[in-house]
Amino acid sequence: MIEVTGLCKNFGSVKALDNVSFKVEQGQIVGFLGSNGAGKTTTMDILTGCLGADQGDAKISGFDITENPIEAKRRLGYLPDEPPLHLEMQVDDYITYAAKLNQVPSSKIKNQVQKIIDRLDLGSVRSRLIGNLSKGFKQRVGLAQALVHDPEVLILDEPTEGLDPKQIAEIRTLIRELSGDHTILLSSHILSEVENTCDNLVIINSGKIVAQGTYNDIVGQKNSGPIYELTVEENAHKLADELEKFSGMGESTAMSGTSIRLVLGNNVNKSILDEVAKTTLDGGYGLRGLEFKPQSLEQVFFNLTKS
Amino acid sequence: MGAISTIALRDLKSFFRSLTGPTVFFLFLLFIGIFFYGFIGKFMTMKQDAIQTGGGGATLEDLLQAIYANIHFILLFIIPAITMGTFAAEQKNHCDRLFKSAPVSSLQVVLGKYFACLGLMTMVLIASLIYPLFLAYYGNPDIGVIFGGFLGLFLLIASQLAFGVWVSSMTSNQLIAFIFTMSGLFLLLVLNFMVPDLTSANEAQEALKYIATTDHLHSFLKGTIQVKDLTYFLLFTIIFLFFSNVSLDSQRWR
Repeated sequence: MIEVTGLCKNFGSVKALDNVSFKVEQGQIVGFLGSNGAGKTTTMDILTGCLGADQGDAKISGFDITENPIEAKRRLGYLPDEPPLHLEMQVDDYITYAAKLNQVPSSKIKNQVQKIIDRLDLGSVRSRLIGNLSKGFKQRVGLAQALVHDPEVLILDEPTEGLDPKQIAEIRTLIRELSGDHTILLSSHILSEVENTCDNLVIINSGKIVAQGTYNDIVGQKNSGPIYELTVEENAHKLADELEKFSGMGESTAMSGTSIRLVLGNNVNKSILDEVAKTTLDGGYGLRGLEFKPQSLEQVFFNLTKS
Repeated sequence: MGAISTIALRDLKSFFRSLTGPTVFFLFLLFIGIFFYGFIGKFMTMKQDAIQTGGGGATLEDLLQAIYANIHFILLFIIPAITMGTFAAEQKNHCDRLFKSAPVSSLQVVLGKYFACLGLMTMVLIASLIYPLFLAYYGNPDIGVIFGGFLGLFLLIASQLAFGVWVSSMTSNQLIAFIFTMSGLFLLLVLNFMVPDLTSANEAQEALKYIATTDHLHSFLKGTIQVKDLTYFLLFTIIFLFFSNVSLDSQRWR
């Protein structure tokens, strides 16, 4: 449904995308994760034909966006990070305009507009000027514009950005309702959002794809071993250096003067924890706690993007 | 065709949802009114003088020509005000992604936006017909001159709008679009007078004079429609619409 192969894009000397490839199957919701400036919007702009790639292909429902743009765009709905709203227009007029622009047959336009207004609960503001609406309503009008022609593929760039918690929950519910009928690529830097909403994840950092797969794949893949937090009375830095030398210890980092983050290597015998405790006690560091920390997507994300 | 008219109608309506449309109407009609009033006064004085000193004096055609020639000058401000926002404003507020991600070609977008501007100016021109109608009611002007003058003005406006749309497609700053369009149009207006200073070669002088708008408009104002003038305005319009299309397309690669 969405197929991206080897995309590269430079802005002057800045490498915005470097050999980006991923695939979104029909009916899936895929979360596109990355920090600000990682290349999410550039990828989405290329996918929707707003920007040209220096190298690589982007296909929507089998149609190449550069070679067959009209056919590809006919199957596409795009909500950019800043909704493309004509603030001087009324909500009704704007959605009708978007429908016409996206070649909805004139006999169906009225029905489609009504359907989308009902679905996004825009009835109460339909005759108001878009410029006078709240941020949440503007976002929904932007979503209406992307959905009005009932596209096969939906590309949503940070759809919940700047919304209040209630509005975020509503948009998430809506996106979940849309899956199945639509193939959705959803970008975000809010991890809980993609964690709850998406079937698959693609993580991008500095223009490169650093991980992709299901949530469990990615969290498991980066989970080199269990993570523990060791709390001591004092001299955590010195102790961390000492623990680093243990065989089987993946990583030992002092987070502060009293706390150390321990990442054990894969398949390491848990008895290493006894050694850790013994060293702490023998060294007189004052053991205060040794706690198991389950790995979250957030940690994986930080690890993958910390470079 | 559907996409062109969809974009053109939206943009045309948008002129009247903002201050652009009403302001253009107000200023254009106001200035024509001032010229009309001023030249009628002048015309009457010249007629009186002619009676006393002999000779034919100024004709109604001379009066119309004087008014049309002055409108040419006012257009230097009106045309950039209309075209500056066509692409620049949308690029600035990211509205351009609406048509860039829609199944429409860049030529359809350019033509849609251009016809919206042309629609607005056509409406203004039709409204300004009130002044020649006054003349026709109270005097006996040559209808050919009135028609020729309006056709000339329409073609001039059509070409200037194409130029303005092109400038707007190259920037996201409306002020820059305004200034560059105005400067370009001013250059085309005064090129005719500058030619002797620029070059002494006959061929070069002829070529530069052909590029300037003034002479081409002048033959329309005299009530004569010549193929070379028609071709000039049509070519000018088509070339700058083509440039706009190229510029819009190239935005994807910038």
